[in-house]
Amino acid sequence: MLRKFKRLRVSGFKGLIPLTLYLFIPLSLYFNLSTVTSACAQEPFYKGKTIRIVVGLSAGGGYDRAARIVSRHLGKYIPGNPEMIVQNMPGAGSVIAANYVYGVATPDGLTLLTPHNNVYLSQLAGHKEVKFDLLKFHWIGSLENDDMMIFMRADAPYKSIGDVVKSKEPPKCGSTGVGSSDYVMSRILEETIGAKIDNVVGYPGSSEIALAMERGEVICMGLTVSTYFTREPFLSWQKKGFVRFLAQSGRKRNRRVPDAPTIFELMNEYKTAATSRRVAQAMLLGGEWARSLLAPPGTPPDRVKILREAYEKATKDPDLVAEAKKGRVEVSPTKGEELQTMAKEGMDQPPEVIEQIKKLFVQ
Amino acid sequence: MIDAFVSGFWQVLAWPAFGYLLIGIAVGFFVGLLPGLGGLATLALMLPFSYTIKQPVEAFCFLLGMLAVTGTTGDITSILFGIPGEGSSAALILDGYPMSKRGEAGRALGAAITSSVFGAMVGALSLALSIPIMRPLVLLFGSPELFIIAIMGVTFIGTLAGASLLKGLLAGGVGLMLAAIGVDPQTGSLRYTFGSLYLWDRLDIIPVVVGLFAIPEIVDLAVRGTSISEVPKTKLVGVIEGVKDTFRHFWLTVRCSLIGVYFGVLPVLGANVAQWIAYAHGVQGVKDAGKGAVEGVLGPGAANNSTRGGDLIPTVAFGIPGSGSMALLLGALLIVGLNPGPEMLKQHLDVTFAMVWVLIIANLIVAGLCFLILNQLAALTFIRGSLLIPFLLFFVFIGSFTANNSLADLIATLIFGVAGYFMVLYGWPRPPLILGLILGKIAENYLWISTAAYGSKWLLFPSVIILIIITIVIVAYPTIKERRGRARYERPDDAI
Repeated sequence: MLRKFKRLRVSGFKGLIPLTLYLFIPLSLYFNLSTVTSACAQEPFYKGKTIRIVVGLSAGGGYDRAARIVSRHLGKYIPGNPEMIVQNMPGAGSVIAANYVYGVATPDGLTLLTPHNNVYLSQLAGHKEVKFDLLKFHWIGSLENDDMMIFMRADAPYKSIGDVVKSKEPPKCGSTGVGSSDYVMSRILEETIGAKIDNVVGYPGSSEIALAMERGEVICMGLTVSTYFTREPFLSWQKKGFVRFLAQSGRKRNRRVPDAPTIFELMNEYKTAATSRRVAQAMLLGGEWARSLLAPPGTPPDRVKILREAYEKATKDPDLVAEAKKGRVEVSPTKGEELQTMAKEGMDQPPEVIEQIKKLFVQ
Repeated sequence: MIDAFVSGFWQVLAWPAFGYLLIGIAVGFFVGLLPGLGGLATLALMLPFSYTIKQPVEAFCFLLGMLAVTGTTGDITSILFGIPGEGSSAALILDGYPMSKRGEAGRALGAAITSSVFGAMVGALSLALSIPIMRPLVLLFGSPELFIIAIMGVTFIGTLAGASLLKGLLAGGVGLMLAAIGVDPQTGSLRYTFGSLYLWDRLDIIPVVVGLFAIPEIVDLAVRGTSISEVPKTKLVGVIEGVKDTFRHFWLTVRCSLIGVYFGVLPVLGANVAQWIAYAHGVQGVKDAGKGAVEGVLGPGAANNSTRGGDLIPTVAFGIPGSGSMALLLGALLIVGLNPGPEMLKQHLDVTFAMVWVLIIANLIVAGLCFLILNQLAALTFIRGSLLIPFLLFFVFIGSFTANNSLADLIATLIFGVAGYFMVLYGWPRPPLILGLILGKIAENYLWISTAAYGSKWLLFPSVIILIIITIVIVAYPTIKERRGRARYERPDDAI
């Protein structure tokens, strides 16, 4: 019952450039030949409408910031130049927001969702509160890559992830909670290459873990690459050489972390079994589609198409990129079609993989 | 250093920074007054506006200025209507509202505002003075120490229990139980969520506080059918009297301000906890505590303002936010191109001092403003209750709603409102429940972390042992004092 409650925090900005309207009417006609006659007779669907982006996290955070940046630029690439507003619906790791957009909101292309990257884990884990199927959503696009990495104090006895694998005493890493990306990454390292990490769980956030690292309460932690390179105290750490990078989660090595192996390299090196590989692949999906935008199932295909094309153009807009840079968002967009395939490949797993995921991450 | 100090002052007074400060103060003034609608939620709402500001100083003049005054004006609502203006102003209800009922609203407000300014000064001064020692100061407290401090807070339940210690302890226990609701971070298991997604994220403190304290008072006001003040309007007991009270209890105010700073510096603990500890400290040994003792107004009044300065210490020194509102502020600072951290203590020292000045100037301005309209505000307590109730109810629910923009929060407010009503009816104290709810989560998390990180070794850390001894002394102190001499204990002026 509760999931149906609409949470309203509405604020947004007009992104109106009337000229582009005239530019895109012919374009949209071209792409929607089947509706030519009706479209000729009437104005574009989105004209005078308002698109609402439901963000599954609270205002002021990274997801909210990213959604607001997109909302300020996406409208001008959609025929009819709709207004865009952002509505925050935080709670339960975005399950509330995803349930709402999937089951309650009208799928008319006017309500979109930006959930937490890891919302799909709740679905894989089979929580009964999950009333959505992420695979049935239409993926519009994603703004960033959230590659994770694990790093350790440079004065610790472990010099590489190999040392951790060999060591009898596991290093203590700080983490916020069992569902968090840092925790997930450490469990994957254990599952795939046998690097045992002792997770000290319950810190309120990465800032508190950083403090604990400085005090020596824990010696390692996981964080996204982009956060590490834009925030204190990590910038100072980087200058001082306070930490050493052990491993990263991306498919390719991040250019700013050239020395740490990726999990995929490590899996080849340690000849990880097929099931564990699939577990890792599924669990690391979240980083690939950071700050994504989705439309609920049932949204008319032509509107999905319009949105995807507009998203692709908007993420190349120099204004958007400049604004994102100011807001410490590193734009590296992925197209909706690619995300759709990625989601299908990553989440469509055989039962033994699902079982293993549940064993690792759900009590 | 002196240069930076002076330069910071002029940066705040420069145009348009000062204009932004005035806007911030104006917004903060009303946000503080409106029940439930808190500084944190408003900061989140205002954040997108600050993105367009170019200069860092201008941005935090607006945001920090707003935040700084919410604590002060929040106290006003608590005292006048018995409804917490801010989550961090709830403790002022306990003695401030009885004073209003007695017709002493003017005095209570005078005391609250003066102590608020006092607290803000101490907070700002601590921020300025601690700049050279910030890093070691923050690193002093690890998880084991935080756990013991949370336990220390729990022991204050005894002092907050009021007439019946047993009822107080039970209420505190219920609070601790309520703190267990939600997804447990250690194992990911769902505790007491009863299939409701709303309960996954633990109970939000705002709807609980607003429900427990506001609803019963509104019901009571409706039942009584009179104005808030039970005595007819004869002569407003002077605001000046309240100002004098602050100086009469000068050291108490200073100590409570320092409590606020201390809880501000510690991560996760903030004004929400500090106010209760300061209240408990303020009324320790005061005979008419809970019936309108001015000490119960001064303590939390000072503490909930001084935490702002304390909060800023780790935020500035490490880029590590000392509280939820600081986390949002930090996000805003990043966008305007300021990266809090060590450089704030070197190249950008003037900006750090500008923050100190914002805290001081904002509070002085709002205090001046409050004193101008204080008599009018106090006059509200003589208005017929039935005229006030619709407005109060409206703002109470708006306030609860804005905490998370969730209708489920309104249901929580109602449920805790009913619970609060019956607690008042049967003489159960409400503060222990709140304290248990806030501290339960902190204590649980840091106990887990301490044990996971150190095994049982942390129990023998010198810092932990010292804190345990302090806790025992705090618990035993009233008893010891009572034995030493009953006569002294019963003197209400002696508020140590």
